[in-house]
This record gives sequence, structure tokens and C-alpha cells, in this order.
Amino acid sequence: MSVRFALLGLLAQRPRHGYELHAAFEAVMGGEVNWDVKPAQIYSTLARLQESGHIVEEIDGTDGEGADRRVYAITEKGQTDLVAWFNTPVTREHQRDEVFAKLMLAIATDVAKPRHVLQIQRARLYQDLHALTVQRSKVDPQKDLAHILLLDSAVMHIEADLRWLDMVDARLDEIKRQPLPEPEMRPRGRPKKIVDS
Amino acid sequence: MIIQTENLTKIYGRGETAVTALHHLNLSVDAGEFVAIMGPSGCGKSTLLHLIGGLDRATEGRVWLDGHELSKLDDTRLTEMRRRKIGFVFQFFNLIPVLTAIENAALPLILDGVKQAEARATAIEWLKRVGLAGQLTQRPDQLSGGQQQRVAIARALVTEPALIMADEPTGNLDSRAADEIVGLLRHVSAEWRRAVLMVTHDPRIAAYADRIVFLKDGTIIDETRLTGDGTGEAERVRVKVATL
Repeated sequence: MSVRFALLGLLAQRPRHGYELHAAFEAVMGGEVNWDVKPAQIYSTLARLQESGHIVEEIDGTDGEGADRRVYAITEKGQTDLVAWFNTPVTREHQRDEVFAKLMLAIATDVAKPRHVLQIQRARLYQDLHALTVQRSKVDPQKDLAHILLLDSAVMHIEADLRWLDMVDARLDEIKRQPLPEPEMRPRGRPKKIVDS
Repeated sequence: MIIQTENLTKIYGRGETAVTALHHLNLSVDAGEFVAIMGPSGCGKSTLLHLIGGLDRATEGRVWLDGHELSKLDDTRLTEMRRRKIGFVFQFFNLIPVLTAIENAALPLILDGVKQAEARATAIEWLKRVGLAGQLTQRPDQLSGGQQQRVAIARALVTEPALIMADEPTGNLDSRAADEIVGLLRHVSAEWRRAVLMVTHDPRIAAYADRIVFLKDGTIIDETRLTGDGTGEAERVRVKVATL
């Protein structure tokens, strides 16, 4: 996900300072434990948004030492693109699956056992699930339901991944028996001239 | 160690129709450890619980429960062990419908010859500890699924057993009650220091344990440690939400 639209959303709420944006972004996204974004990334995104005319920098009075206090504010262009973002469904690239790639290549080469690939993935998913469960148990649903829903999203995705691993495990022998996907090789070079005899 | 198995094997039937339900299985569970057993149907998890619980005898290999080797015990001693050293929690609660929460929870003590007054007092104490102070005189049909399972857990704890065995304890509960019950089981191991052995097919429930043991075709094919030092303290792990 690009961070830019989240920042535009925060600026649509009101103009803000750079460091305030960093803190606000992390707070909205479930805290540092769930999305640890480097301040440098925030600042470089803000620079790009400024360049593309989505935000402007304004002077908002002076600080204790008489220096200008700068805030960022959203422009009309920023507002328009923000609305478009809200109105566009999010695409998830489910098929760009590294576990699938590892599995196929484990079957194709002899570098690792496919079942082992599945086992280490499964172990990691359970450890992640445990950590999420612990985190979730510390959040108060009366005060921070949004945070719980974020964690629930992660939990449900992990449950789905585990179900898939179990399914693959059950059919691994079958997969190994089938030929590996190979690309169709088309003939190279110039086509031969057909000469009428 | 509360549970220790060595080469544990169980074969049902004979000759051509013999089925090996468990195959030289080695497992150990310590006091205060919460272990989840997972595996496809037919993997041997029920057989494992039955052998550890003294409900069946091994074909080969040995089981120790709180230091006692089960194969050396006769039926009477085995029954006594089961009553005193193990508390069972089942999927369908298995409470007696005509008895109140107190009467259900007190039952194992009454069966063990404890005086009525003392048994009731202990039962009330445990029912309060599992959060049922307001439901003591209610019958199962007046309780929710989660509350019934709490009575079952109190009942499992009244004899101060070393081991709690739970067979799909959340199988009959909605997800909210399920989380409460498995959270309570975690408390039983982490705070009250019992060994807890739980069979489950639900990954979200298994994730509450210290360790998950994966069974397939009667053997352990994998084990995953979920907590750092196994005493119930969870590590604070940074989890990257990879889907975003």
C-alpha cells in the first residue's frame, strides 16, 4: 500500500506538521507494533506529494524561538485524488505468492524438500497467530474496537493461509506426480521460405 | 514432567486387519505447559489422549503420569489416578442436566469420598475462580455454552489434578465463547501451573498454547514452539501485517 493516500486523508482532516503526520499515521494504523514506518519515508512521501501539487507547505505562526512553523495542507488536486482513492476498490495480488514459488521450485529442483517448505511456513504462521492473539487480548474492545478489527483481519488471513497449506500437504504426492509447468517454446529465427516445387 | 511417553504404540485388531493407531510416540509435557495436539482425522490424537488418561492400555511402550508408570497399575489404581490426577474437559461439556453448577463441579470430590460440605465449599471456590460467582445454583439448561464449559473446567480442577485434558473444548462454542474458554485454559496452565493437553482442529485456538504438536498417521511429524521459555510468558513479537 502506498502511504501517500493515508497522509492525504490525515491532511484532509486538518493541516499538520511533518512529525505529527508520522505519529498520526502510526496511531491510525494500529500503532508502531503493527506498522513501524520510518520518519524518512513519511518525509520523502510528503516531498513527492508537494512536487505533484497534492499538498502545499504553509506557515502556521512561529514557534517558541521565533522560527516559522511549517504545516502541510491538502490542495484541491489532493482532495480530488483522495476522493478517487476512496471510490476505487483496493487490489490485492493474491497470486503473487512467494510460498507457492518456493513450493514449485522445491519440487523442480532438489535443493529442498517440498514438505519441509510447508512445515517451516506453517510454524511461522502459528507463531504469528500466537503473537496476534496475545496482542488482541490486551486491547479493550470498548475503547479500541478498530484495532481489534485490524488484528482480526490479520488472524483471518493467517487462518486461510494455514488451510491452504493443509490442503497442499494432503495433495503433495499428487502434485509431484504431475509434470511441472514448462513454457511453450516457440521456434526462434526467421521462418523458412516456403518454395513451391 | 507431568506426562512422559516412551515409544508409545497402540495397535487395534490383529493380523491382516490390524490398525496401528500410534507408532512409537515420544511426548513430554511439563507442569505449567499448555500443549495443543493437532492433526487430521485418524491421526491418533484421541488414542493418545485415551492412553495418557489411562482409559486404554498401550500395546507397546510406556506412559508416565506425574511419575507413575500406568502399565504397572491395576484397574482400581488406574481409576483412582484418573480421578485424582487428571481433569477432563469435553467438547459437549458432559454436565449432568439435573444437577446445579455447584453439584456438577463437586461431583468428582463426592465420588472420591469427600464430605458433602467440604466438597461443596471447594466447588464454590473453583466456580468463583472461573468467573461463575453469579451462576452457582443454576442448572446447565439455564447456562450459555461458554458458562457450561466453565462449570466443566471448575469440575476438572476441584481435585487439584496435575493434568487437564481437553478434547476439542471449543468445538461447540461460538468464536467469542471459544476465545474465553481457551483463554481460561491458558490461565489454568500459566497461573495455576497445571499441565494442559488440548486436542483441537482450530488454528486460532491452538495458537493460545505454548507448543503445538502435529500428529499424522500415529506419529509426531512436527512440533512448533509458540512461546519463548514455555512458562506461559508470551514474547512481544513484532508482526508485520503482510497483506497491506
